[in-house]
Amino acid sequence: MKPSEDQSRARSRSVCCEAAADAVLRVNLESLPELRRNPGPAVGEPLPASFLKHADEQTVAGLGAVYRAIRAAELQATCFRDWGVVAAPRFLGRPAMAAALQRFAAEGAWGVSPHLIPHRSLHSISGTVSQALKIHGPNFGVGGGPSGAIEAILAAMSMLERKRLPGVWVVLTCLDPELPPDAAGHSAPGTQAVGLALALTPASAHTSRIRLQLVQGDSSSVPQSSAQAAGFDLLRLESLLHLLHAPRGGDTTIVQLLDAGNRLELSRSVDFSETRSMGNGRINRSPSVAARMSALTVGVENRT
Amino acid sequence: MSHVDGIWITGVGTATPLGHTYDAFADRLLDGRSGIDRVRGFDVAEHPSQIAGQLHEVPCPSGIEPAEFAQLHRLEQLMRWCCVAALRDSGWWERRGEVRIGLVLGVGAEWLEYWEADALTGGRRVWQPENDTESMIARTRRVLDLSGPAVSVSAACASGNVALSQARHWLDLGWVDVCLAGACDMAVTPMALAGFGNLRALSRRNAEPQAASRPFDRQRDGFVMGDGGAVFVLEPASTARSRSARVYAEVAGYGARSDAFNMVIPSPDPEPATAAVREALRDAGCNPGEVDYINAHATSTPVGDIAEARVLTAVFGDDVHRVPISSTKSMTGHLLTAAAAVEALACLAAMEREALPPTINLHEVDPECDLCHVANEARPAKVRVAVSNSFGFGGSNTCLVLKAV
Repeated sequence: MKPSEDQSRARSRSVCCEAAADAVLRVNLESLPELRRNPGPAVGEPLPASFLKHADEQTVAGLGAVYRAIRAAELQATCFRDWGVVAAPRFLGRPAMAAALQRFAAEGAWGVSPHLIPHRSLHSISGTVSQALKIHGPNFGVGGGPSGAIEAILAAMSMLERKRLPGVWVVLTCLDPELPPDAAGHSAPGTQAVGLALALTPASAHTSRIRLQLVQGDSSSVPQSSAQAAGFDLLRLESLLHLLHAPRGGDTTIVQLLDAGNRLELSRSVDFSETRSMGNGRINRSPSVAARMSALTVGVENRT
Repeated sequence: MSHVDGIWITGVGTATPLGHTYDAFADRLLDGRSGIDRVRGFDVAEHPSQIAGQLHEVPCPSGIEPAEFAQLHRLEQLMRWCCVAALRDSGWWERRGEVRIGLVLGVGAEWLEYWEADALTGGRRVWQPENDTESMIARTRRVLDLSGPAVSVSAACASGNVALSQARHWLDLGWVDVCLAGACDMAVTPMALAGFGNLRALSRRNAEPQAASRPFDRQRDGFVMGDGGAVFVLEPASTARSRSARVYAEVAGYGARSDAFNMVIPSPDPEPATAAVREALRDAGCNPGEVDYINAHATSTPVGDIAEARVLTAVFGDDVHRVPISSTKSMTGHLLTAAAAVEALACLAAMEREALPPTINLHEVDPECDLCHVANEARPAKVRVAVSNSFGFGGSNTCLVLKAV
């Protein structure tokens, strides 16, 4: 009755993809209104100024990160029509819900905004990105809570593995730090809305891109708690991307252990002559094959 | 990716306004009974829409401590009930430690629903982010001792189809041996009922609750919200065969496309939804002429039902007047995040009972929805291939194809 070990092993394998672009956007809440009006250089037709009028802060940051990733990787001419979008917000809509609860208590049913549900549900960011980029491939939200980053990557990699999509945008968002909103539902001073965008595509021979490999492990040999896996969130991924983009020659491989003995490996092979600046979006890449000088494991956690 | 072996459904767990078991659901569905009534449990005097298909109580699964169960949010109770029931039905419950069981559930607004329920009982959880440390799906995975990955997904009202598709991918990739997939929603809350009501999306036929959800009918005036969920056990055909499992159907095809038009309003261009249905049929290796039953998304809104009729006409051509179609939302209400999963269950019932569930309250067909309706009464029919459409806010269009095994 139970699948044999041979059956399981035969069906089980690793999957790999690469990031054609990535970017992180942090925006102070006082700068958010301007970003809401103009989230970035439009791809195709310009967006109406009111496009993000009712969107959550996290949605604004998420779409802004997508535009920055496009610009940084010079993908403005790319047609995203058949791509997919997977977005994983973290506690989307907390400030708005705090305000809505107050208003509902004061005004009753008529005080509930009709925009609350369409713009604060788990699908809201993926739907907005899909609409902004005119993406007709599938879009959906993932996670919503503390462990959304790995949930989004799992979902995106399984979609890519079917080989029907040219790419999948993974958009992770959160408020940092996530402090209690005030009584009126405003975020605490100092809060930033953070968006992280990854343009995942099937793995290719393009060696200077960040590669992501999901490796299946033997769940019996590497015990791993949910809490440890849950530590892999947007902020953790932001720091890992920072390490991968750091100017060093050779190979950089980062291992993030997941539940059930599985692991996510992020790696990048960098040519010494390559420079990259995320700040001004300028990229210079040497066409030469990356020199594989050394393998550096930056983050292997909880091996024992 | 080919599904050489096939991915089969071998267990179901459900709770809907029509019943808390598959048999109860199938019986009432095929009887053409409405699960919609005036809302109970909170004051709706000021709400524009005052009716819904509610789930007033979720049974505690055997093997789970009732006192502990009673402390859970209703959505989490529903998840537990559906997951445990599906695992028991499939025969995996007692053996779940022997295999990697994954969990993919459509859950659209977990935190909004949670914070609202907490606030309405005097809590301040929305103002206490430090206490929100574990999602319901992670807790469900932990409490049920499942060893595979767990993910919650949402494409709004199409979430159940997305979940089934993801589970099928995971099984194909060998990430799991068995996968629970489906969707749950307990959206009939004071604020959600108000929000959708203020969006003018809901029926205001408050005096006739059971006649309010009337997809494709000329007198329709909006959808009726509902609570509920359905969770399925999926596994490779070879595994199901080797253990002589009861098989409900094969998850044979899936298609998904986005409108990229508006967050709420369906695109006037039928092309994206048409492409989703065609993609699903192609994935299943079916021609439109082979389809025996279509479970429509049709929610009973003036715009949406017509848009879907156009899509079906584009895909099925002349066959659109031959292939029977119904919207079971006429009986369950619109279960939002859980709608697609419960409608997949309706397709399984049609296959197993050899009968087509009706669209009730369909007395005067909208001429712009000229399809082969199963109106008001179930109809006997052999169903080998069923198509279930589900569309959602955010511009999602999805289609699932189920095949009898």
